[in-house]
Amino acid sequence: MTPEDFDKLQGLLATRAGYRLTRDRMNLAEHRLGPIARREGYANVEALLANLWAHPVASLGWAVIESLLNPETWFRRDRAPFDVLEQELLPALAKARPGGRVSLWSAGCSTGQEAWSIAMAAKAAGAAAEIVATDLSQRAIDKARAGLYTGFEIQRGLNARAMLRWFEPDEENWRVRPELAEIVRFGRANLLDEPTDEMRFDVIFCRNVLTHMEPSRRARLLDGLERRLVDDGCLFLGLDEGLEGETVAFRPVSGRQGLYVKTPAAVRRAA
Amino acid sequence: MNFKTCLIVDDSRIIRKVARRIVEGFGYEVDEAADGAEALSYCTGVMPDMILVDWNMPVMDGLTFLRRLRALPEGGRPKVLFCTIETRPERIAEALAAGADDYVMKPFDGEILQSKLTEVGAIAA
Repeated sequence: MTPEDFDKLQGLLATRAGYRLTRDRMNLAEHRLGPIARREGYANVEALLANLWAHPVASLGWAVIESLLNPETWFRRDRAPFDVLEQELLPALAKARPGGRVSLWSAGCSTGQEAWSIAMAAKAAGAAAEIVATDLSQRAIDKARAGLYTGFEIQRGLNARAMLRWFEPDEENWRVRPELAEIVRFGRANLLDEPTDEMRFDVIFCRNVLTHMEPSRRARLLDGLERRLVDDGCLFLGLDEGLEGETVAFRPVSGRQGLYVKTPAAVRRAA
Repeated sequence: MNFKTCLIVDDSRIIRKVARRIVEGFGYEVDEAADGAEALSYCTGVMPDMILVDWNMPVMDGLTFLRRLRALPEGGRPKVLFCTIETRPERIAEALAAGADDYVMKPFDGEILQSKLTEVGAIAA
């Protein structure tokens, strides 16, 4: 692909997904677009992109965007946030909510490992959790919903006891058990879109998403998360994702890296 | 400097070599044994901090080794991870019940081993 192609890809990713495609990813982009070019019947990646720039078809555009996002994820990533959720947040929330009902959102869930990790924590804490998990990539969501993981994927972050407890073998792979599957709903969603419904969550996981955002689009993403979170609700970001000076909507919880609490509306107005 | 020690028990020299390289990367000092009997006699001399053990080996298999290890004085101390191609849930459960701290299905890579060792507290998070 030409440098001009890459510039246009950067623009496409930034405007549609708010995703920052750094220049060091040019080879990776070439590599990821190859299979799409073949699948769609183009001679090569250049031909695919030339056609996309000339006739911007939404479906092809999204296929290209999806392939360039960073899908990396694993079970109980960083571990501590899921321990805090299971041992501290969920017991308190289940006690405070009518019927012990707690709603959680895995925002940017990729292939689902985070959502299942949340579901395991909820079961262990005895909370009646309803979990929504969304991602921009339809392919990632399809895999997440299938709940089917390879031996490599299932072992990354899960110990054998947890694997046996929550998954069952399916030929060479491992499939999530119905008791977890029934408390998670997956759907495709763009975190840059304005919320069009009244769905609110007690806890939101949006980990390692901000890291890859265009700086100019972070505010829009954070605004969406704020609107979806109940007052005093909790937000988990990636361990290295700070919000210094960026917003008064969330304040960090000391001693709990990556955990933020939504500031009550009255305090925000005063600020 | 106080090095932690790991014994790798596998009848495949190649697997031992691959596992050794990964575990040394986590700061462990590594020794090798080619079957359960060899490993058991090693452990009666000096008890390692961690043991990676295959299931199917000549002379003495991994499960027999694990049961005898856990019966030794100080034999409860090492973190033991099974590393084997056996993936049937009932066999995995059997290994855990016999005293394995965790279970790794082959093939594995450095990231999997790192996550398993972190989970059992053999390396820092």
